[in-house]
Amino acid sequence: MLRSLAALLLMSTAALADTADGEALKAMTWDQIVEEARGGTVNWFMWGGADTINRYVSDHVGGVLKRDYDITLNRVGIADAADVVNMVLTEKEAGVADAGAVDLIWINGENFRSMKQADLAFCGYTDLLPNNALVNWDNPAIANDFGVPVDGCEVPWNTVQFAFAHDSAVVTEPPRDMGALLAWIKANPGQFTYPAPPDFTGSVFVRHVFYHAAGGADALLGPFDQAKFDAAAAKTWAILNEIEPFLWREGQTYPNTIAQLNELFANGEVAFTFNYDPSQFGLAVQAGTYPETTRSFGMTDGTIGNTNYTLIPFNSPNKAAAMVVQNLLLSGEEQLEKAKPEVWGASPAIDIARTSAEVQDGFAAIEGHPSVVSADELAKAALPELQADWLTAIEAGWQAQVGN
Amino acid sequence: MALWLILPLVPLAIWSVAHGWRFPALLPETWSMKAWAYALSPTSGVLQSLGVTTLIAAAATVLAALLAVPAGRALALYRFRGKGIVVLLLLAPAILPGITVALGLHGIFLQLGLTGTIPGVVLAHLIPALPYMTLVMATVFARFDTDAEDQARSLGARPWQVFVHVTLPAIQPGLLTGAFFAFLISWSQYLLTLSIGGGKVQTLPLVLFSFATSGRNDLTGAVAMIYILPGLLALALTARHLTGRSLALGPESVR
Repeated sequence: MLRSLAALLLMSTAALADTADGEALKAMTWDQIVEEARGGTVNWFMWGGADTINRYVSDHVGGVLKRDYDITLNRVGIADAADVVNMVLTEKEAGVADAGAVDLIWINGENFRSMKQADLAFCGYTDLLPNNALVNWDNPAIANDFGVPVDGCEVPWNTVQFAFAHDSAVVTEPPRDMGALLAWIKANPGQFTYPAPPDFTGSVFVRHVFYHAAGGADALLGPFDQAKFDAAAAKTWAILNEIEPFLWREGQTYPNTIAQLNELFANGEVAFTFNYDPSQFGLAVQAGTYPETTRSFGMTDGTIGNTNYTLIPFNSPNKAAAMVVQNLLLSGEEQLEKAKPEVWGASPAIDIARTSAEVQDGFAAIEGHPSVVSADELAKAALPELQADWLTAIEAGWQAQVGN
Repeated sequence: MALWLILPLVPLAIWSVAHGWRFPALLPETWSMKAWAYALSPTSGVLQSLGVTTLIAAAATVLAALLAVPAGRALALYRFRGKGIVVLLLLAPAILPGITVALGLHGIFLQLGLTGTIPGVVLAHLIPALPYMTLVMATVFARFDTDAEDQARSLGARPWQVFVHVTLPAIQPGLLTGAFFAFLISWSQYLLTLSIGGGKVQTLPLVLFSFATSGRNDLTGAVAMIYILPGLLALALTARHLTGRSLALGPESVR
């Protein structure tokens, strides 16, 4: 009885939204897909911690979708994309192949790797999106998500590059390379700390030290190499243990999350915070969390950059509508809109030279937030991200050798 | 006593109207209603979530009460084979880590087609709420004198009259306490709602958590002020019944 009831319920949802069959969509033209997408709903699961980003997605993107495509956008704010990966995984294990709850995820890094490895992503359709032509897939930083080839399983949305922030009223001349930063930490006890890996942001800070210890990133690219790792890791742990007594609370404890470090910085307990996405500094100043005198900067020996993406799960019942959303997000107009500092300040994932003259003028006219170091400035010294196996080894090594 | 309840809420209230409040300032630099404007705007979905959360918590409480009154009575007043196992099973959701319960339930509910629906979330909330409610009712019935029911029955009362006029007044304070627990347990579910609701059922803890974890104290403050309202309201409504007065039948409770 329950089983037949369940079958009935599943059937009714399947009848409502008919674009679960991704293979059928791949055989269609874009106009046909847009037609299929009409009247659909997209449940987009994304980090919901910034009101400005929420407003841009719900009001602006949602408004355009409703007006131009009759698509309803349901933004689902979450704290951690890993929860969504688990949801889709459970659905797959329970045999839900065409009526999943998730139509789109904002994702990258380890979560993408998990989804790709477990065959949870809808792949091989990105060429169908007209605006895919604006993406420079020859750029390895776009074609690889933390070293994992994208393979048409996700669509880039923003590019980011790690930067540090300081209060210019407190620290007038911040250190500009890793060696100088390490010296600054020892000269100013208690003024610096970093979140304990495997926190996403703490982990990338440790990787900067790792690159510094290894004498640059070039030797570390490619698959994991135990001998290279051991040599660089030994130096990294020595450096981090050497600065530990000079950290906040004498290194007895580390913040668990980047949010805790941000709070310490906001209250002036430490002199620096850092983020993978420098636009967050501008948003925090606008929100009143950080002082107006906040400024941000990169390192002359480079900072690590990455790309974040949107992904459609294999069992999304609204794939056509989700593809329309992805195509819209890639358009020059939307990439420009979210690049405006009062909207978000996110750097584009498309090649601006391939967009229309109006969009290019729009990008040229953007005046960055004074607290956010410009992407061009950061790009002068950009470092690549390592493959996921390196990341796991560095995080495990830190926990054993430094954070014990 | 009231002060200790209110005191932790003061910073939340101030945060919700603060723009820039950093150590060591005692009060915010400037005041702003921006967080409230966002919390009350349709974009944030807070008001809609408030309605959904109230509906779910109320439904879960009523269902929990309907199940827990007979179950608590049976546990307290009757001896039966396998009673220990029944108690253990009832307590299991309260003992096991929340994530285990959530992941297991998600799989079962998916097969039943209950995910992504409000009834599904209500049923899911019943699982952590029921143990508390049943145990409270069992304690109440352990001190309940069934002779009063027998007397009413011997005087010609029908079963429902016995329940309404004799049993219910006697167990009412305990019932309210248990219902209060059940309401708050449902009200504060995060993981169960996220997995079973599949994002389509957006309750306040989901909205609150994404701001709290990203360090937006102003938005967290505003949403939290809205979040605690029903709890305070429920407390105010039930407070006079929660004074721990004797649960035994007395002249004043027969009325």
